[in-house]
Parts: sequence; C-alpha cells; structure tokens
Amino acid sequence: MKLTKARALILIAFSVPIAIELRTVAGFFNVELPLIAVAVIEFLFLALLFVLYGLYGEGSESAA
Amino acid sequence: MATASGGSEFVDKFPDEAAIVKASFLIAFVSLGIGAFFGLIQALHRTDVLRVIDSADYYTVLTGHGVLLAIVFTIFFLCGVFHWAIARSLDRPAESALFSWAWVGLMTTGTVLATVAILGGFVPNLGMSADVLFTFYAPLQAHPIFYIGLAMFIVGTWLSGADWFLSYRAWRQDHPDERIPLQTFMVLTTMIMWYISTLGVAVSVVFFLIPWSLGLIESVNPLLTRTLFWYFGHPIVYFWLMPAYLLWYTVLPKLAGGRLFSDPLARVVFLLFLLLSTPVGIHHQYLDPGIAEGFKFIAMTNTMFLLLPSLLTAFTVVASVEHGARQRGGKGYLRWLGALPWRDPAFTGMALAGAMFAAGGFSGMINAGMNINYLIHNTLWVPGHFHLTVGTAVALTMMAGSYWLVPQVTGTKLYSRPIGLLQVIMWFVGMVFMSNAMHRAGLAGIPRRTAEPQYQNFEFLTPIGSIFELRVQIALGGTLLFLSVVLFLFNILLTSLGEESDRPVDSYLPEPLSGPEGSPRILDNLAMWTGIAAVLVVLAYTLPLAGIIQNGGGLFGGGLPVPATVSAGFDLVMTTVTSAFNTLWGVVA
Repeated sequence: MKLTKARALILIAFSVPIAIELRTVAGFFNVELPLIAVAVIEFLFLALLFVLYGLYGEGSESAA
Repeated sequence: MATASGGSEFVDKFPDEAAIVKASFLIAFVSLGIGAFFGLIQALHRTDVLRVIDSADYYTVLTGHGVLLAIVFTIFFLCGVFHWAIARSLDRPAESALFSWAWVGLMTTGTVLATVAILGGFVPNLGMSADVLFTFYAPLQAHPIFYIGLAMFIVGTWLSGADWFLSYRAWRQDHPDERIPLQTFMVLTTMIMWYISTLGVAVSVVFFLIPWSLGLIESVNPLLTRTLFWYFGHPIVYFWLMPAYLLWYTVLPKLAGGRLFSDPLARVVFLLFLLLSTPVGIHHQYLDPGIAEGFKFIAMTNTMFLLLPSLLTAFTVVASVEHGARQRGGKGYLRWLGALPWRDPAFTGMALAGAMFAAGGFSGMINAGMNINYLIHNTLWVPGHFHLTVGTAVALTMMAGSYWLVPQVTGTKLYSRPIGLLQVIMWFVGMVFMSNAMHRAGLAGIPRRTAEPQYQNFEFLTPIGSIFELRVQIALGGTLLFLSVVLFLFNILLTSLGEESDRPVDSYLPEPLSGPEGSPRILDNLAMWTGIAAVLVVLAYTLPLAGIIQNGGGLFGGGLPVPATVSAGFDLVMTTVTSAFNTLWGVVA
C-alpha cells in the first residue's frame, strides 16, 4: 500500500494521543516513564515514518 | 433515501433555499471565528501563559465563548443543513421564501441582542452585562436584552421547524403512501425533540428571568430555573449531535465510496433520541440539594439508555464506511482502513470527529454515573468531555461537512483540499492535547470556570506527569484549535469568492443498502412517537418540579406569595397528579 501524504498525516495524528497516554498505560504496570522518554519515542516514530515515506511514499521509485 | 437533485446542482435547482443556507452558514462562521478567539484567550489566560485581559473579564469571555459557539454557531449551522436536507430530500422548495427569511432574521436579531449584552461586560460604564455563562440560570443575572435576545433566537428556531413541517405537509399531500425520506425524517424527529425540550427554557426565560431582570418580580426560585435550564440543557446536546448524525448517516458513507448500511436502523436511532433526550436533564444536577436522590437515579438510568442509539450509530456508520472502503478495493480485517479517501477533508474530518466522539462517550459515562460523577463534578474534566462531544464530534463534523456543502450552495469549487485536510487534522491534534489535559486536570481536582486556578500554599497533585505539563498541553491545544479555525475560515472565504463551476462537487447521494421498505411503517408515525416522548417527560419531571416548587419557596422563591390564581391552579394540578400517581402505584403494586 502506497504511503500517501494524507495517510502519513493520519498516522501522525493518531500517534499523538498514543504518545500522550503512553505514560498512563505504563503507569498501570508501575512503570514510571519520564516525559523525555515519550518525546524520544514520538520522535523515533516520526523519523521512521519519514524514512518510510521516502522509500514508499508518493513519487518514490519503490512506490512506482 | 431520495436521491433528489441528481444531475443539477443544489444552487441551480433551489436558488432561494441556497441563499437561506448561505446566510445561516455566514452567521454560524462569524460566530465560530469570534467564539474561537475567545477560546484562545481563555486557554492562555487560565494556564497563565499569556494574560491579555483582566481576570474579572474572564467570565465575559467565557460567556461569549459558550453562547457564540454552543448556541449560535451550532444552531445556525444546523438550520442551514436542515434547510438543505429538506429541500434536497423532498425535492421541493420551501413553501414560502419570505417565511424562511423571517426565521433567519429573527434568529439573527436575537443573536445580535444577546451578543451586545455579553460584550457590554467589557465596558463597565455601559451598565449592561451578561456574565452568566452558557448555563444562564439564576442566581446569576444578565441584562434583560440578553434574555430577550435568547427568547427571539429560540422562537426563530421554532419557526424554522414550522417551515420544514410545512414543506413536509405539502410533500405528503403529493405522496400520500410514500415513506418519509430519511433526511426529512431525521430533521422532523430532531425538531420534535427540540420543541419538547425548549419548552423548559422558554418558561424559564419568559416567566422568570426576563421579569426578574426587568425588576417586575423581586426573586426567582434558583433551583427551579436551574432545573428548567437542564430540562433543555441536555437535549440541546442532541440538537447539536443529530445534525452531525444526519451527515454521518447520509453523507459520510457516500464520501467513503459506499452506501448507508441500514435506513431502518437510522430511523430507530433518531426515534430513540426523540424519546430519551429530554427526561435525563437531572443528571446535570446530581449535587443539587432539593432534588430527591430517587429522581436522580431515574435520570441516571434514562441516561444510560441513551448509550443504545449511540452504539447503534457506531455500528451502522462504521459498517457503512467499511462497505465504502471495500467498494474501493480495501481488503482484510483492518487493511480496508487504508483504502478510505483520506485526502478528502470532508471524509477525514467526519471520520476523526466520529473517533473522538467515542472517547467523549466514555468520559460521558463517568459524568452520567451518580457516584463517580462526584469525583469530577465541576472540575476541568467536564469541559474536557464536552470539547470532545460538541467541540469535536459536532464542530469538526460541521467544518468537515462544510467542505462538501458550501460548494453546493455557492456553486464554486473548494479553494484548497490540502489546506482543508491540514485543518481537520490540526483540530484533531489540538483537541487531543487540550481535552486530554482537561480530563487529567479534572481528576486532579482542578476546578472549571476559574480564571486563575493557581492557589497560594496549595499544589494540585497528578498521579502521572505534572500540573505544568497539563497547562502547557492546554495552551498548546487551544492555540492549535484557534489556528485550525483560522485555516477553515480562510478556506471557506476563498471558496465562496471563487469562480462558479458547472460541477463544484459530486452531490449525488446513493440509496442505502437496506432501504425503508422492509421496516414497519409505524416508525414513520411521528404523532405517536411525539405522544410517547411527552408522556416520558411528564413522568420524569412532574414530581421533581413539584418538590422544587413546594420546598424551594414557591414558583418565585424567597417564600414570596404566589398570585392566588396561579397557586390555586398549581394545587389542582399537584393534587391530580399525586392522586393519579398513587392510584397507578397501587395498581402496579
């Protein structure tokens, strides 16, 4: 499936509530996740998405 | 569902109706812009990020934000949508364009009067203010102009409903044996619910608040005005939601590339909202003294029944959208999600609004539970909840729907789909930040409706994270939401100024997969459902209101004497009702 700009935007949008509630969910298991850890995880997700968009996004050779 | 207007655009076929819809949308969008600006001021003020107003003026801003967004923006927009839906689905113009303009004019005049009274709060020497918040019950008192404006606005909505019922009556004469077209059915059931529920606020405003603000009576019974407000204050939630449901049921499946799953199920949902929306208002008053716990328990039970139509909607709409995705080549258990038209801001905005509504439904169950409500009552949790429901499920659906509807009434193509897509996603992200932080702040006990929730020698505690983080989240979310509104208004303005097109948008709506033919015709018996709804309201409210009047110092509070004729009439009603109740109870027992 081609990763279009619209799909990438939707994935980014849905990553925000997951990132925000990550510490709450971790807290259910007595894992105290610091804010910086959440920021790093979100940053890594965005970086991965950026790479995938480069590889499989609109206009990339792989997608064609 | 009728597929009227196929082949020609709405604006060409119904130019007078298109003009009414445009006028309604214009006032709605102006209100949206002002209300959103007030929202930004509040978000930055109470988080202490930026304070450009005096804290005393916070309540003027808060009232403006609530009234302009929750009453004016939503209701003007839904009037536009309903006017479009009636003309489109009945395939006929309104009976009288003059009458249509009359209700637009009355609602607009009422809006201007109420807004002037609210904004008067910024000018102390003017002697006019209405810092009574969206929940405008006593003991807070506004200038009479505010109440008179609201009364005119409500009467305007009644006339708009009459306009649509007249169209329906004329259509029925030409089509005596046909089922009511689905969109018309949705509009009519919504308006019947609105007529029943606005009786409460009409009585409160006309008989108590206006005479009180004019000095004609010295006092009112505060609990009575509160209860009459919430008699209307909860159904108004469904007055906001049902137009959004109309768009989710009849437009969203088409945008997804499919068709509505079930017409009869949609009718059942709207009937359930007609029956259950009003006899639940007391769940807003769990902490009010003067209302017996048993009545609150009944209100809670009725409220939980309201989950049924919402869950039916979730099933029907998701099934319809999945059908659309599979029509577009989607496969698998979840991979079909990728086949949806995510580039289309109208589809994406409505889909995101629906997803957020699920979260709002969950937090709403906390509000509705009598015992757990005490944990979050009057905290920031509550605004967090309703920013997911009216603030996203409704407002985002209305904005997204505008990207499909506005071209139909202007005859111009949407200025920019990418800007529209960015706008709806920005709203979603902004609301995630703001609403999440509000819910968490509410759990920490931070109060709502407070300009400066920062106290000396006291620190709110959060189980996870810090109060500082929550404040930043709220300020960031509020800013993103405001920017989203700016993008929306910019896009709509340039759309309306664009060149006319022969086919600005694909406005065809396909027939449902399962039509109304196989469903019982009793679903269309609006008189019977209206009667049942009225009986439920009488059962839910008669005894609580009687108790409030008897124990709260009479109709006008303060132990003031009630006029003899009113008192005698009231005693007669009370005696009759109590006697009938006792008889009924005896039979049941």
